[in-house]
Formats: sequence, C-alpha cells, structure tokens
Amino acid sequence: MKLLSIAARAKVVTRRYPFEPPVITEGFRGKIEVDPKLCWGCGVCTRICPPNALTLKEREDGTLVLSYFMGRCIFCGMCAEVCPRGAITVTKEFELASLTAEDLVRDVKHDVVRCRICGRVVGPAVEVREATKGVGGEEAKYYDLCPECRKLVVARGIMTKVGVRP
Amino acid sequence: MGERSRYLPECPEMGEVVRKLTEEYGGRVIFSRGTEVYVEVPRHALRDVAKYLYSSGAFLKTCAAVDERPLNSSFAVYHIFGMDSRGYDVVVKVSAPENDAWVPSIVDVVPAADWCELEARDMIGIELRGRKLVRRLVLPEDWPEDLHPLRKEVPHDFRPPSVKAGSEFRPAERGIPIGPYHPVLHEPEYFELLVEGETVVDVYYRGFHVHRGIEKLGESPRFTYQKIPFLAERICGICGFVHSTCAIMAMEKAAGIKPPERAEYIRTIVLELERIHSHLLWVGVAAHVLGYDAGFMHTWRVREPVMILSELITGSRKTYGLNLVGGVRRDVDKDKVGKIMKTLDRVEREFKELANLLTSVPQIRKRAQGTGVLTRSEARALSVVGPVARASGLYRDVRKDYPYLAYKEVSFKVPLYTEGDNLARVLVRVEEVFESISIIRQLLDKLPGGPVMHEKCSAVIPVDELIPPGKYAVAAVEAPRGEDVHFLMTGEGRPYRWRVRAPTYQNIPALRPMLRGDPLADAPLTIASIDPCFSCTDRALVIDVRTGRARTIKLWGGGVDACRL
Amino acid sequence: MSGDGSKLLTKALARLKRSVWVFHLNTGSCNGCDIEVLDALTPYFDVERFGIKLVGSPRHADVFLMTGPITRETLPKVLRAIESMPRPRLILALGSCACGGGIWWDTYSTIGGYGRLKEILKERGIVVDRVAYVPGCPVRPEAIIYGVLVLLGVVEQKVKHEEVKAGG
Repeated sequence: MKLLSIAARAKVVTRRYPFEPPVITEGFRGKIEVDPKLCWGCGVCTRICPPNALTLKEREDGTLVLSYFMGRCIFCGMCAEVCPRGAITVTKEFELASLTAEDLVRDVKHDVVRCRICGRVVGPAVEVREATKGVGGEEAKYYDLCPECRKLVVARGIMTKVGVRP
Repeated sequence: MGERSRYLPECPEMGEVVRKLTEEYGGRVIFSRGTEVYVEVPRHALRDVAKYLYSSGAFLKTCAAVDERPLNSSFAVYHIFGMDSRGYDVVVKVSAPENDAWVPSIVDVVPAADWCELEARDMIGIELRGRKLVRRLVLPEDWPEDLHPLRKEVPHDFRPPSVKAGSEFRPAERGIPIGPYHPVLHEPEYFELLVEGETVVDVYYRGFHVHRGIEKLGESPRFTYQKIPFLAERICGICGFVHSTCAIMAMEKAAGIKPPERAEYIRTIVLELERIHSHLLWVGVAAHVLGYDAGFMHTWRVREPVMILSELITGSRKTYGLNLVGGVRRDVDKDKVGKIMKTLDRVEREFKELANLLTSVPQIRKRAQGTGVLTRSEARALSVVGPVARASGLYRDVRKDYPYLAYKEVSFKVPLYTEGDNLARVLVRVEEVFESISIIRQLLDKLPGGPVMHEKCSAVIPVDELIPPGKYAVAAVEAPRGEDVHFLMTGEGRPYRWRVRAPTYQNIPALRPMLRGDPLADAPLTIASIDPCFSCTDRALVIDVRTGRARTIKLWGGGVDACRL
Repeated sequence: MSGDGSKLLTKALARLKRSVWVFHLNTGSCNGCDIEVLDALTPYFDVERFGIKLVGSPRHADVFLMTGPITRETLPKVLRAIESMPRPRLILALGSCACGGGIWWDTYSTIGGYGRLKEILKERGIVVDRVAYVPGCPVRPEAIIYGVLVLLGVVEQKVKHEEVKAGG
C-alpha cells in the first residue's frame, strides 16, 4: 500500500533519547545562571522578567536575595539581555525536572548597606561598593545614607557654611 | 487582487463612509491614521450605522468595551468594522455615561456581534439593550454576578470566593425546549449536541475554560509594553507568534515606529513557518479524528523538522520570544537561510506525497465530502475568518486585504473553495502549506540587508517613552486559523485597553449551522474542521431532545481550546 | 505520606518501570505543552518504546500529565479527575504554568499552578503520592521524558536548591 512505501522511505527517525543525545540547536534557551561574583542585586532583571520568576526580596535577617524560580521561568532570556553587569548567562540545560518545588530555586544573597541615620536599605553592598569604587573625597561620606537623609545632611552642611542655624 | 470574485458590494471609499457617518448619523471623527478611521456616533444611531456598514460590504472584526470613567466618566464600546475589499477599518465608538450604562445591541443586524457583546457585558458590566438572549460567556461559573474584572477599580489579582452557580438557562432554539441545566447532574462538557435520534438539531457551546485574564493582566501595574509580546505569545501555544506580532504591530502603529525592513521580512518568514507547522499539526489531528492514526503519525513526522528549524531561528521550539517593539531579537545568517531552504524542500516533498494519499483515500473523501456545510451567506452573517471562510466562498485573507509586513513583496495564491464542506476546509489548508513554502522561498531570495532592530529600540531601552498614552491602534494578522485582531488604547507605560480577538473565537459560532441537520457521526470531524486550536474538546455531551437522555461521545483525547481567552 | 502509602508507592514504581499509563490533563494551558506531549508520542521521540501509553480516562491512569495553570473554571474538573485516579497517584506538573502558575500566576482567573492546587488537595484530604515538576515553556518532548524518568525514580534529578553569597 502507498503508505507503506512512504514509511519505508522515511525509515526510522526516532532519536532514542535519553540513550542518544537530544537534538538541541545552537541558540536554544534553557535555564539561566546568575554569577554571584558579578551580580549587583540591582534588580533590573526582576523588572523585565514577565512571569516574575526572578525576584528581589528582603529577608528577615536583613539580607537582599535575588531569587530565581525555575518553575515559573518562561526561558525568554530577557534577563540576560538587560543585566548591566552581564551576570546572567542562558544555558542549554533543559533537564530540570524536580521532585520538589524548592529544588527549583536558586538564590543569590546580598548583604545590604543600611542608612546610618534611619536604617532604611540604601542598596546591596556589592552594588554600593562597586558603584562608588575609586570615588573618594567629599562624596564618600554620603554613601551610607539613604536619599532623604543625605538631603538633610547636605542641607545642614550648607546652612552651617553660610552661618544659618539649622 | 485581480483574482478575487466580487460577490459582495464593493465597499465605498473611506471618505464617503466618513461623510455619511458624520453628516447623516451625527458622528464625529475622533482619530484617523492611514487605513484606520475612528468615528464616535450617538448611541441611538448605532444600529443604523451597523446596518449601513454591513450592507456596504463590511465585516465585523470585533467589539471592545472600555472602562473610560477615569478619562471621561463613561463606558465606551468600540465596534471594529473591516472594509476588506478596500483595506481600511472603520471603528465606531459609542459611549454610555456611568450612571446610565447601556448601549444598543446590534446582534440582530450583525449576528457576528453575538459573542463580543456578551463578553462586554461580562467584563465591563455594560447593558446590551435590545438583546433577547443574555448569558454569561467568558467568566467562570462560580464568579460573583456584579464583579466585572475589566473595570478599572478591580485589581488584576483579586480572587473572590466561589459563588454557587444558579441554574443556568439554555437558550431555546426554534421552539425546542431545553429547560434549566443543573451542574450537579452531569459534567459540563464543552460541546453539547442536541439530537433527535442520530441527527444533530442544535449545538450549545460552553467554553472559556482557558480564560486566564490576559487582557486585564496587560493593563496591570506589573506589566509594561516591553513584556506584552511575551504575554501575547502565550495566548496560544500553536499560533503564538501571530499574537505576539499582532500586538507589536499595534504598539508600533500607535507609537509611529517603523521597524527595519529586514525585521519585517524575518517576522513574515516566521509567521509562514508557523502556518506550515500549524496546518501540518491540524492535518494530523484530522486524520486521527477519522481514525487514521498512521496518517497522524506520518504528518507529525513530516512536521518535526519545522519545529527544529523554529528552534534554530528563534531559540525555542514554540513561544519563540523573537519579537520586541521595534524589531526582532535575532538575525538570520547565511547558514540559517540555507537550513531553512533545505528543510522546506524536504517538507514540501514529503507532504506532497502524504497529502495526495490522505485526500484520495475513499473513506476520508466520503466522510469529508458534503458534511458540515457552511453556506456563504451563513459565513458572511457570522463574519467567519480564515480557511473556514475561504472554504465557503468568502475570499478573506488579511495578507491580501490589509497587506502588512513583507506580504506586499511576494506573490501568492489564496486557495478558495465554495462547497463549504469539511473536504473544502481540508483542501484549503493543504494548499496553503505549499503557498507558504513558496512565500518563504521568495522572501529569502530577496531578504534585504540592514539591522533587525529600530535604532531607538532595544531590550534595554524602556519603550514606554516611545509609546505615548492616549493613542488608538488596530492591527490584524492572518493566523493559520484566520484573522487575528488586536485593538489597543495606549496608557502610561502599558496599555489602557488591549483587546484580543483570536480567530477561533470568530469561527466557533459557525459550528451551529454546520452541525445542524448532520448525522451525529460526522460531528467530530466538523468540529475539528474549524481547527479549534488543536481540539478544544475531549468529549461532547449528546442530549436526545425527544427522550431527554444524555450520553457522552469521544471527540479527541484531552485538550482545551486556548485561542479564546 | 503514611507508612502504607510509601509501601504502595514503592511497589507501584517498580511495576511502572515496565509500563506506564498516562492521562493527559489540560487545566487551561495555551496548548504549547499539550502539543509537545503529543509530539512525544510521535516517531521522533516515540515514548511508546518505554511502554508509555496515553489512556482516555483518569480511572486507568498511573500518571497524570498536567499542563496549564489551573484556571478557576477548570478547578472542579481537575479535582474530580485527580480524585477518580486510583492510588498511588503520580502527577507530572508540566511547564511554567503547572509548576509555578506561569506568566499569569496572579490573575483573577487562575489559581497559581500546582503549588496552590497542593494546598487545596490537602484541605480536601485528596492524597497525591508523588509529584514531579518539569520547568519549560513549552516543555520539550525530551524534558517530558526526563520528567517521567525522575517521577518514576529511574534517574536522579539534577537540580538542587542553592543559595550562594554575592560578591567575592
């Protein structure tokens, strides 16, 4: 019958995964990896991530955690494109099955710099340190202040200079 | 365009329509751009306007209800009429003050408006005055009565507790009394076929199990224009690129951003690749429905290289993530062009054999021929789209009527049949596969150089600054299943209103005339023939109106239609 | 899991390594994962060589292949289907939607994927003996095969929870 001849010509196309490697093309987007040495905790990736698989959350112990939940990831790779530090790479890993949801989570933990006056979070320690590297002098004494407190301190400084009582 | 048959009145020129709407019906042009004109008419004139436009050859694309109370203390409904033969859209707006929230229903004049009116009622809570049959269409059964998600004060993530569904009334048709339906009695199936003996007399469709709140999500604080294409792509996992492209086109139109030519070519190529994969998928499904499993296996075998090719070009087998506002994320180099050509050659060769075989098997021909007939007038009244329309003698194809992207640069045929039966719908799709292959070859041949992303856009630049608020746009793309329409009102950094009308949404109501009077045994094929985004049903409930007895029959195994939000 | 349950599970897992009957349950997905499930049956992947067979009723199923974020509308159906599954109940949550609720994890019309379903099942006393999560959007056919192997305990999973300190 005709179908048999079609079948005979097609031969066997089965790729016997997992005994044979799967057909993965060069640009395939699998899971992402965040390099903890490069990550600043700035959160740009969390703002572009459509399903919010990448989140930046403050923990009770005062640290800031960049959390990657593979379960909800849509493997679009936008995070890798927007990361200003190039800390995110897209791998070709797709064998991500897990028996628990917790195992699908990768966290990068950041210490934070807190405002020395009001205690609010100024930013992740790495980001503050790297962004202010090499800048010294007058500016340096404001790096551990949040914007509101910094304004107050600067204003007081000016007023003192011109002789007005704050 | 020369080969189109003119069976409908030729649509008037845009200027004449605008004149008539403003001078005779008291309308006022609120916006216009190229092939779109937006006219606001007073409520009392809407039915006459709809009658005038429809009898002038217009098709109804959809209507979108918008909560404009923050803007002007009113609700609005935008009816999008497509003047296909002239290639322009007339969007008719009517407003209702918030304390008098009703608009006239046009469903008796334009039957195609049925579902979008019901959806407007569900989602915005506006009254459709003059309709006899009103029922919940889109929202879940256990959703509270007076909560309308698209109203601006309702947060996108508000999940009210379950409310017990009342006894639902089945719309009676032609005097056949159906009576109240008690959910506890049997499983709510997607399709309920009412039969007399073995002949189908009516169809009741209950869908929207896949309603995920996408339109509302697009407006929500956690979304921005940059994320919309990724959301749009997942409206449907089979024709996702169509939705992503259509949404992007609407945003680019609203912003006045023209993507580079090379990007438009690449989008067109991927759209046609998607058409090929979708039609091959469908042919396999149709074969399975007819009990021809070997046909299913072979068709999907022929299809697989297209999936691998899609991954090579875009990075993912499906949900490609290729589109961004302003262009595409990846380019196609010489090597990839070569691979595309090779794969197309192979698919063309293999499918030609297979298609010839499948369409000549007498059992298949006998079952598909003369069954599930949709006449041209029925198709016209319901404004059906895609292969369903083209199999019933309606020459509608967005690629020809409103040329977009690179379609103007290629020459291709649009298969047209007039029998309107299941076989015609098979043949249209089979021929379209070969036309798509030809289109891609032509595009690759003349692929222009240059960038693939507009200089002002990129993944990193927040496009919000480029897309001003308060703009309108309508975009349409010919999906494998038919015309996909996106209507956009821009807001600050995200859409103010984003309406998606997927093709299957427009075609499902056509199942009623198709199934009526046919033997029950033909129902599975007819239902599959509108290509409901890969079988929207696993089973159908069959109720005999003479005995009142109900039973279920199998249509296909597992699956829920996605293309209807 | 009670003592009885785990014995039952171990026995079942041993038997299942030879033939697995799967039921495909779409809880409101976009169909992307669903066509990849079907694809796994077709010649390129041919899961039938593992003895994996698609069945038409939850009553005959060993494993549920679950796609979709579980919409509000499908929730009662999903619960009924899981309940009618004989013990031991094994579920494979496929894709971004099932594993984590997907891109629409917080909308009014979905419940948020298997994470939330788990809570609801617990409230109703419906026991699921084993679950595996397979990320992907859509899940590749190979990932589905790998997921089944992990679920059945044929292979060890590769992923593990990780917490690393930034900087350094």
